[in-house]
Amino acid sequence: MNMQGEPLPDSPTGRLLSGYSRLDDVPDELIGADGRIRPVWHDLIQAIAAMSEEELSARMARGDQYLRDAGVFYRHYGPQDTTERDWPLSHMPLLIDETEWNVIADGLVQRADLLERIIADLYGPNSLVADGHLPAPLIANNREWLRPLVGVTPRSGHFLHFLAFDLGRGPDGNWWVLGDRTQAPSGAGFALENRIATSRIFSDTYGRSNVERLAGFFRDFRDRLLALRENEEGRVGILTPGPLNDTYFEHAYIARYLGFMLLEGEDLTVRNGRLMVRTIDGLSPVSVLWRRLDSAWADPLELNDNSRLGTPGMVGAVRNGSVTMINALGSGVLETRAFLAFVPRICEAMTGESLKIPNIATWWCGQPREREHVKANAQKMTIGDAFATRLPFDLDDISVVGGTVGEHRNAVDNWIDTSAAHLVGQEVVTLSTAPAFVDGALAPRPMSLRVFLARTADGWRVMPGGFARIGRSGDTPELAMQRGGSVADVWVVRKSAVDRETTLAPSAAPFVRNQPGVLPSRAADNLYWLGRYVERAETMIRLTRAYHLRLAETAWPDTPLLSDLANYLKLLGIEPEDAIPEGISAAIASASASAGHVRDRFSLDGWLALSDIEKTIRNMARTATPGDDMARAMGVLLRKLSGFSGLVHENMYRFNGWRFLSIGRSLERAIAITYVLARFADPDAPEGALDLAVEVGDSAMSHRRRYAVATNRETVIDLLALDPLNPRSVVHQFDKLQEHFGFLPGAERHRPTTELQRAMLKTHAALSVHTAGSLDTAALLNLGAEIGQLSEEIRKAYFR
Amino acid sequence: MLYDILLKIEYDYPDTAEAGRHMVRIMPADLPGEQRAIAATMTVTPKPQEWIDRVDFFGNRFSELLFDQPHDVVSFEAKARVERVAPGSRFDMSPPLAGLAQEIEAYRGVDAWSPHHFTGASTLVPIDGGTTDYASAHVRDGASTMEIVSAINLAINRDMTFDPEATTVDTPMLEAFQRRHGVCQDFSHIMIACLRGIGIPAGYVSGYLRTIPPPGRPRLEGADAMHAWVRAWCGGEMGWVEFDPTNATMAGEDHVVIARARDYFDIAPVKGVMRSAGAHTSTQSVDVVPVG
Repeated sequence: MNMQGEPLPDSPTGRLLSGYSRLDDVPDELIGADGRIRPVWHDLIQAIAAMSEEELSARMARGDQYLRDAGVFYRHYGPQDTTERDWPLSHMPLLIDETEWNVIADGLVQRADLLERIIADLYGPNSLVADGHLPAPLIANNREWLRPLVGVTPRSGHFLHFLAFDLGRGPDGNWWVLGDRTQAPSGAGFALENRIATSRIFSDTYGRSNVERLAGFFRDFRDRLLALRENEEGRVGILTPGPLNDTYFEHAYIARYLGFMLLEGEDLTVRNGRLMVRTIDGLSPVSVLWRRLDSAWADPLELNDNSRLGTPGMVGAVRNGSVTMINALGSGVLETRAFLAFVPRICEAMTGESLKIPNIATWWCGQPREREHVKANAQKMTIGDAFATRLPFDLDDISVVGGTVGEHRNAVDNWIDTSAAHLVGQEVVTLSTAPAFVDGALAPRPMSLRVFLARTADGWRVMPGGFARIGRSGDTPELAMQRGGSVADVWVVRKSAVDRETTLAPSAAPFVRNQPGVLPSRAADNLYWLGRYVERAETMIRLTRAYHLRLAETAWPDTPLLSDLANYLKLLGIEPEDAIPEGISAAIASASASAGHVRDRFSLDGWLALSDIEKTIRNMARTATPGDDMARAMGVLLRKLSGFSGLVHENMYRFNGWRFLSIGRSLERAIAITYVLARFADPDAPEGALDLAVEVGDSAMSHRRRYAVATNRETVIDLLALDPLNPRSVVHQFDKLQEHFGFLPGAERHRPTTELQRAMLKTHAALSVHTAGSLDTAALLNLGAEIGQLSEEIRKAYFR
Repeated sequence: MLYDILLKIEYDYPDTAEAGRHMVRIMPADLPGEQRAIAATMTVTPKPQEWIDRVDFFGNRFSELLFDQPHDVVSFEAKARVERVAPGSRFDMSPPLAGLAQEIEAYRGVDAWSPHHFTGASTLVPIDGGTTDYASAHVRDGASTMEIVSAINLAINRDMTFDPEATTVDTPMLEAFQRRHGVCQDFSHIMIACLRGIGIPAGYVSGYLRTIPPPGRPRLEGADAMHAWVRAWCGGEMGWVEFDPTNATMAGEDHVVIARARDYFDIAPVKGVMRSAGAHTSTQSVDVVPVG
């Protein structure tokens, strides 16, 4: 059906929408039932219509560029592997007017309050079961109803603090709740990034429209989390399953944005009933934990014992009332699909009111009448796992979609009869359509809305706008992002100017940290190893370049120096003949993995520089040939690596985290130079080895300026080992290490020196008394081993 | 009957374990009317940094222990004097299966011993066509729940071979069932799967078994280690009744209860995570001696 009504076919708007046709019997967000553009869209549509094609695509590119620069990604799970994908922004925002939004907000606040009462009952008196409002098997056989949490009342007085609801608009034009997200809803951080990207695309319209801003919502919730602490000493943390989770980016983003620690299960431990974070300065209490980890994984001792992501004793800390969980452990039970069949009546029984926004019609097959109803109407239903916590259109293995029943009628009936208690039937979801750009033109696509609610001091607060999922094709199952859907910003448009008080620009700086930072041991560990791996890669690259430079200059790869160097490279795991040796890519990959664990503490530019190096290596590996070409390739990598180091050192705030990164670099550099000297400054080393050492130590120029002579063993040892002014020398690394350790916990107090301090002093002192003459090969090898030992002392002192 | 019980469990770590938090369930339970723990002490070496005595969802007592110093060996010793009351013979008042199903459905509650917890799959006990078919073969028309449970108890004992070499604590129930070999834990899990498969709520009991039999009676299997058996819900009138498929008997005066729950996972004697690189080995010894 083509668009009815007549929005001026000859106007720019008319031309923009000439191909936009509303689908039969499906409401559209842009075009009302009368065939006219809904008023809330006028400004935006006119603005787009006035843009040339070039301007429009330049604007979209600006939005995409922002997301790329911001490093926004999600993790895609493929059949064989997982990859990071660009964030699938639908460039066209979804606009909703104030009146309609107020209806949604009002209905969801009612639902949030109801869910709180339900879960308090499920983990308390269980009167819903006793009074027959919820069948006992739906609780007793529910994997998300966690027995160790039964009878535990949350310290904060509430189970639920942060919720999301998925909504769709049904054929009658009214909104329906498709699912309750109570476990650890994701998407709020992505909503912020969507907003920034979209407001860049349509900056002018966004600026003059009365679009509700999002920052106030986050600020209030952050204040609430801080207020939930028992005292100033307790901390707020965000618990993530780690970098392999599909929404890890968001966890890191929210942590950075709100100024809270990003924690993994192994960062935490429980002592005397209190949850503590392991920091470089010992254990420090955590009193509020916003978990992004499903409850069952939070504690391998009392919950899922296969969990490597949790913290043994976490449930005990909760039971002990020493930590507030956002949301309470066990809150995932409310996501149970079959519950939707009972929530409407529970609402009436508990509050005396009916639901303001209905949820999708659902029938639990464990009840005889409902079972017969599902069998009789299977054509019009989705039939699936009663205990599933996914959305109705997010199909799982055992779902059957109505309409496909057909000749399998008997098999379906049979299936329903034998697994009755484990099945629900749900009305097939039809969603409204919203405009999306498809090949440069607007086209209607199915849409669902995710709305976030946070509990603040004044009750539930609804995030005004934020997150819509847009299907790729006309079918609703395509909505899930994993299946290629996209995500749109949602603009809630007020009739009058939006409250200036809350209109912080969305790109405003992260909130002020009002807690002095502590550095979790694991973060320190990862930063330290990031430093070491980057430096290790640099050493390997320098050695490899030195090899290929010499190879290019000679016809014989088996000159004594070349074969000695080749052997040395092999010791480091490098096959010199390979195009981009494995050892180098492995070191960079390890650096990336370490960086991946500390993305909340690590500058975005640094991260992008590292990704760029990985990409460059992959490309070079396909084309580089031995000799000159490889030497040039190594040169490119070196420049990129120093770009990375520059970014880190110029931009990273001098937190303790930066010190661990620097300690890693200095320690690795000291080891590398020491062993290079032991090998290539040895009296028996082949001719040219001394120059090679100076070159690998990047000190050729310094050598020329300091010594008016050609290299000899004494000058090389002096410059690379003992000269404190040469930033590449071993002794210089020690000066740096001493400086860093002086700022770290444990150094400021006049207490007995630690093992680490003793080891440092011993090695440093031994080095200081050496002369170029006395620092022979044996002494160098000994020194290298001692520096290696320091790493273990650092681990014991800070990373345990 | 009065018993003196002595249990020793030891874990050896080839690589020193740095820290660990454990839940330990090895002490005889205090069960009014069934069993009384007169004197019971648990000794733990090395000394744990934290020791919290708690009660789980099903009402079992256990101890949560924290070791935060590096250690190579951990040992637990339970020493108790227990009075076990002989259950009187019980008149069969259990309904047939159809009646049982109605009673279950009418039970509105998820309290600890609500039958609803014991009808579906639990962590170590899947509901499987194989065990369900096996159980169905022993359902005689018009039989009471008790009669069916007894028949299955005997059948499992007849068809399974007690064989400590065949399985470990980690062997899945179905594997033991297919091989028809196993120990008390396997016998019990198989019976639980059978009962649940045909609609009879069933749970797991861990405990001790009298080591030396009374004169003239054979020594019971499983007496040299911790033992396990099964409890079945036989309707509201009779409630829970306990059977020991390893010994083809009802659980009685020779059986001392430690804990009861859905399966072994809920009440393993020692649970917990050690921060240690390598695997560990464990040894166990049990003595259950009648006194006087």
